[in-house]
Amino acid sequence: MKRLTLILALVCALAVGFGCAKKQQTEPAYDDGGNSELNAAIQQITDGRVYFAFDKFALLPEGKEVLTHKAELMKRFPSIRVRIEGNCDERGTQEYNLALGERRANAALKFLTSLGVNPSQMETISFGKENPAVQGSGEAVWQQNRRDDFRVIAQ
Amino acid sequence: MKRYLSMCTLALVLSLLCVQDVWAALRVDIYGPGQNIVSLALAAPLRGRSTEATDMGRALQTVVEENLSFLPFMRLTDPKAVLGGTVMEGAQPPDVDFKRFQLAGADLLVTANWPGGDSGTKSVEMRVFETNSGTSLFGKEYAGVNKGNVPEVADRFCADLLEALTGNGAFFRSTIAFTRSAGKMKANVWLTKPTGRNLRQITNLGGKAMSPSWSPDGRFIVFTHIDSSSHALGVWDSSSRRVSRIRFPGNVVIGPSFTPGNKVAVALSNGQYPAIFLLNRAFKKERVLEEGNAINVSPSFDSTGTRMAFTSSRLGGPQIFMKDLSSGSVVRVSMNGGYNTEPNISPDGTLVVYSRMTEYGNRIFVQDLMTGEERQVSFGPGSDEQPSFCADSYFIAFASSRGGGRNIYLTTRHGGDAKKVPTGGGASFPRWGQGGEHK
Repeated sequence: MKRLTLILALVCALAVGFGCAKKQQTEPAYDDGGNSELNAAIQQITDGRVYFAFDKFALLPEGKEVLTHKAELMKRFPSIRVRIEGNCDERGTQEYNLALGERRANAALKFLTSLGVNPSQMETISFGKENPAVQGSGEAVWQQNRRDDFRVIAQ
Repeated sequence: MKRYLSMCTLALVLSLLCVQDVWAALRVDIYGPGQNIVSLALAAPLRGRSTEATDMGRALQTVVEENLSFLPFMRLTDPKAVLGGTVMEGAQPPDVDFKRFQLAGADLLVTANWPGGDSGTKSVEMRVFETNSGTSLFGKEYAGVNKGNVPEVADRFCADLLEALTGNGAFFRSTIAFTRSAGKMKANVWLTKPTGRNLRQITNLGGKAMSPSWSPDGRFIVFTHIDSSSHALGVWDSSSRRVSRIRFPGNVVIGPSFTPGNKVAVALSNGQYPAIFLLNRAFKKERVLEEGNAINVSPSFDSTGTRMAFTSSRLGGPQIFMKDLSSGSVVRVSMNGGYNTEPNISPDGTLVVYSRMTEYGNRIFVQDLMTGEERQVSFGPGSDEQPSFCADSYFIAFASSRGGGRNIYLTTRHGGDAKKVPTGGGASFPRWGQGGEHK
């Protein structure tokens, strides 16, 4: 009898536990408290990548367009801090690509600064060819890996 | 009188030729273009008169054979080709029958004698003879041999043999530092002998280690370390076995390299772009070695420390340049190809090795700094990168994807078949310790 009571109690406890878990799952991940504009800005800053030609760090016209939009958002939300991550395709050698990635990240930083973004809102890092966005070989892949990524590190 | 003088001159020339011939047989010129091949036989190790040493004696012989297979100028004589067998009455003349080894094609004969037996902790006498004359090339006793240190004793003997033959035994005295990948953005620093033995991990950091470099005194290894948000100069101290991570303003640390003066040169930000800085012995910025609007990375120094090779994009694509640090003059070294990087100067200052991007992947090239002559020394397949000269200025280690994954391979200043260093894969950035460093 005592054993049966114990099993029933255990079943009840598990049922309550699962109920709680389900309840937690249905709740929103966070309450944006009216910050939906900020969240949308963060999303847009993170999403838009800037691409480069092989062995080059000069900004292309499309890249400047992407950065101009980011600049507007960053000026509107000065609490946002962004890390600009410079990357390269797999073809070059590692040390040279680290330097090239640094130049790519800094090209974006300088352009954003020229558009009025506060430099204290930005930092840079180069991953060279160590952090490809797409695995594989061929120009279609390489094109996507010669890029600047934008990561929001504070809001 | 005239005839007498002519005969004397002829005799002198002939005797000089004979002397030269004997000398040539004793030495292997690994630096000249016509590198000769030497055949070497190993007599069965002995622990008494005509009694084979089958314990440590056999183990030592096996490791010596493995070691010598890394020398491209050496052929080991098949024991089965030695008529009458390789067991001698003793380990030195007159108990050694050189004739049977000579008939098997061997130029040199190694004998090993374990006078006190070959189990426990014992001494071994190793001798090397020329088979055609029976002349001793060298002989040495190695004391305190036990089961655990047989490979180390084999390395010591092979270094002594290599030194006797070529004048430089650095290969078997060196330890290679390299990085080993454990997934995307994760790699640590490892050490190995060039033969793949004594393989061990020395750092255990998250993130990625790149470009290790030994200090000439063997105490430190510096390397680039990248985590998700920063670059740092990693410093491994062999005396404390600790690793420190030093950050610099600008968040850039690329390709550190020790100078012969035990200081580090590394590309760091100068506030605008990366420049090659010299750090002091406390790893703080001392002065700029090279800067400019172009990319300047990957410094490498000759043994005098007066010349620095580096990669620069000052003329467009990356090329190899050489800076005379006393005059400040810079000259271009690589003249062919549009993408040459990763220079490494031979310690004797005569050659610079680098990788070139070709349509088939990167390949390794060596350029003679005196003549400007360039030679391709690696041929893929895959991509061959990150070449590094051994302290003997003869062997070159490089990383290659030729076998699928990345591994370290060895070739020489003359090229030839590359031999894989068995490290277990994922290996990059081989960098030689200059001999006598951390064991």
